[in-house]
Amino acid sequence: MLAHDREVAGLRCMQALEILGAYADDELPPDRRAQVEAHLAGCDWCERFGGAYLGVLGRLRLAVGAVVDPEPPPRDPSASSDDP
Amino acid sequence: MAGGVETVLDLKALAATVAGDRRAFEGLAGRHRPTMLRFARALVPSDAAAEEVVQEALLSAYTHAGSFRGEGSVRAWLLTITRRSASRWRRAEPAVESLDDVPLATLGIAAGWGAPEASPEHLAALAEQADLLGRALARLPEGDRLVLTLRDVEGLSGEEVAEVLDLGLAATKTRVHRARLRLMAELRAAGGVHAGP
Repeated sequence: MLAHDREVAGLRCMQALEILGAYADDELPPDRRAQVEAHLAGCDWCERFGGAYLGVLGRLRLAVGAVVDPEPPPRDPSASSDDP
Repeated sequence: MAGGVETVLDLKALAATVAGDRRAFEGLAGRHRPTMLRFARALVPSDAAAEEVVQEALLSAYTHAGSFRGEGSVRAWLLTITRRSASRWRRAEPAVESLDDVPLATLGIAAGWGAPEASPEHLAALAEQADLLGRALARLPEGDRLVLTLRDVEGLSGEEVAEVLDLGLAATKTRVHRARLRLMAELRAAGGVHAGP
């Protein structure tokens, strides 16, 4: 499927894609994490994609409220306070 | 489980609630209501419905405060109650299944993996626009939107997300990753780069 699915630092690009989420969430054991970082450092396309993945994730995590409420609901003057 | 100050406050508030302290519950509800509302809004079609769902969830939590077993966080417990409240409102379980039959490589390609014309800087710049990011999130399948809302927007741990959605931890982590790739594909499409699966 991908002509560039090559092995760098003992990891194929497909493998790096599979564990990129765990890498971004800091869930990998140290040696596996180091292997991913070595792959990203040696594979230009995976490094670019990894950067994009982490960048989007970072923006998503910063955007609470703005992301989930892009259009605040109009105020309802008749709304009353609620009780639990 | 993380033992931050918030967790300790929540546990104390819940214990006080069980002992009959209504003000303690009001404080707890106030802290978690925004998160519960955002989560409910991802499950039901309107702000009004989300308010209704959260109202019911808080009432249920207050009534059954003694049922909290302490196995997860109070936050995850409240969000689980919210999910069940939303299910009753919908009279159906939310669709937490993402498109698991799509190969990961296909999702990756749609997200820009291996695409020589794709620019990470461009994608990050698109994501910086909150309205674009919000719209891309809204366009995702419900299951993807739910896991991303909980994991990446609200910051729940993988374990908490699994608890709230009643999924296995490994399945939850897989779904989060696939949902992120879908979100990237939506952003690329918003930026005019089309490479769908």
